Amino acid sequence: MNGDPLADTGAPRGYDLLVRHLKDRAVKMGEWALGMVHDGWKAFDQGDLQAAQTVLDRDTQLDRLDEDMEHAAIAFLVLRQPAAVDLRTAAALLKITTHLDRIGRLGFDMARITLPGPDSEIPELAEIRSLLQQMDEVVEPMVQQSLDALGEDRIELARELFRRDDVVDRMHREANRLIIEGLEKNPTLARRLAADLLVAHHFERIADNSCKVGEKTIYALTGQRRSEYLPRHPFRPYALETSLPPPRGGSGSRSSPRGSGAKAP
Amino acid sequence: MESVKLRADHLTAFYGGKPAIQDISLEFPDRKVTAIIGPSGCGKSTLIRCLNRLHETAPRTRVEGKVLLDDEDIYQLDPVRVRRRIGMVFQKPNPFVTMSIYDNVSAAMRFNGRHTREELDHAVVHSLQQSALWEEVKDRVDAPATSLSGGQQQRLCIARALAADPEVLLMDEPCSALDPIATAKIEELVGRLKTDYTVVIVTHNMQQAARVADYTAFLYLGKLIEFGPTEDLFERPKEKLTESYITGRFG
Repeated sequence: MNGDPLADTGAPRGYDLLVRHLKDRAVKMGEWALGMVHDGWKAFDQGDLQAAQTVLDRDTQLDRLDEDMEHAAIAFLVLRQPAAVDLRTAAALLKITTHLDRIGRLGFDMARITLPGPDSEIPELAEIRSLLQQMDEVVEPMVQQSLDALGEDRIELARELFRRDDVVDRMHREANRLIIEGLEKNPTLARRLAADLLVAHHFERIADNSCKVGEKTIYALTGQRRSEYLPRHPFRPYALETSLPPPRGGSGSRSSPRGSGAKAP
Repeated sequence: MESVKLRADHLTAFYGGKPAIQDISLEFPDRKVTAIIGPSGCGKSTLIRCLNRLHETAPRTRVEGKVLLDDEDIYQLDPVRVRRRIGMVFQKPNPFVTMSIYDNVSAAMRFNGRHTREELDHAVVHSLQQSALWEEVKDRVDAPATSLSGGQQQRLCIARALAADPEVLLMDEPCSALDPIATAKIEELVGRLKTDYTVVIVTHNMQQAARVADYTAFLYLGKLIEFGPTEDLFERPKEKLTESYITGRFG
């Protein structure tokens, strides 16, 4: 409409540039966190303590990026007093940086629990390691996809994450099953298997945090909250829904692994 | 479901032959604060002036549609009685400059014939307390109204409006001439007034609307674009025009 002061001319506003700048910073932080996951997993998988140390040394920068991002988002809220999509973006970014920080911290933890020597040379662990490798191959691209969704305002990429998360959840359960079987068969490998259990759990958490980044991106762009487009499915205790082997000495029913009577290695 | 105190029903208001607001239907919930926002010239002040029949006092003006106060069409009632029930506070503080603080507040009562000294005293104290001015003026109620600061004068005008015992209080940009401290006092006062009154406030300041209003209406080019709970309107507006306005996306 001619002369309409609210007509969208497509010209970038100072506001738009600020919001873009905030998103770019968040993406940069996410890339840093993703690098920690990538290298943390590699160090863990190869039992390379030197490589693990380099990941641990990157934690300070992750903290700095997190603080800078929080400061920038709060300054934007206070000084610009945004509304609607700008307000949602600033609020979402405050949450997103927390999730990105967690992703980086999980990479850090993989490096922290690295044991010397590659596990792939231990035949009993080959299957578990192969599954963890597969988890990495799904999870790292998920983190990248969540960053692409955020950086490029792509809702469909964010939505796709929820489907991929289901795949990771299934792999996580399978990893738990294999690791528990391994613990029962090879108690002498308990230390390594416990580390593998943690890594499988970390991958699952990283995938969850990527989904959270996607969820907040959708909120920022549309105002929709997760409950409005993705019905929450009921959860049950793992012991009732996984194919965990029955505990040794148990009745054969699927009881919780905790208190199953399995002997500590 | 909240009860509705005041309702605009297909309201159109003209200056000469030109409509300033068009076909506005809007419900003002009882004992809530409703803000009206929109760019200059969108019809905010015209709308609020229609709500107590002030619009018709200007030359060559006309109103179509209805304004219902408790389901009674105010355009079928005596306008003086309407304005007693629906008080108004204006952009600039406008105390009666020749009168004292006391006389300003009691003016409406004296005009309406209720003038025993005891009744007047009670109403003056009560109104000044309600408008959060009593503590500041209790020792000098006989001082001229002009001796007060701008913010105090505005609260005096609110006290004067409240002394007429209205049911609805209309406020047309009541803080636009005030400094931030006086503005904060008025905003706090608005929050308290809604316990007893239905408040409609026109404001240019979107942050003010966000701070004080339970509901917000967005007007644009004389039309109601969106109305809803303030939080929803500022967080997730439904209309593209609202989004453009509140995010400052101007052409």
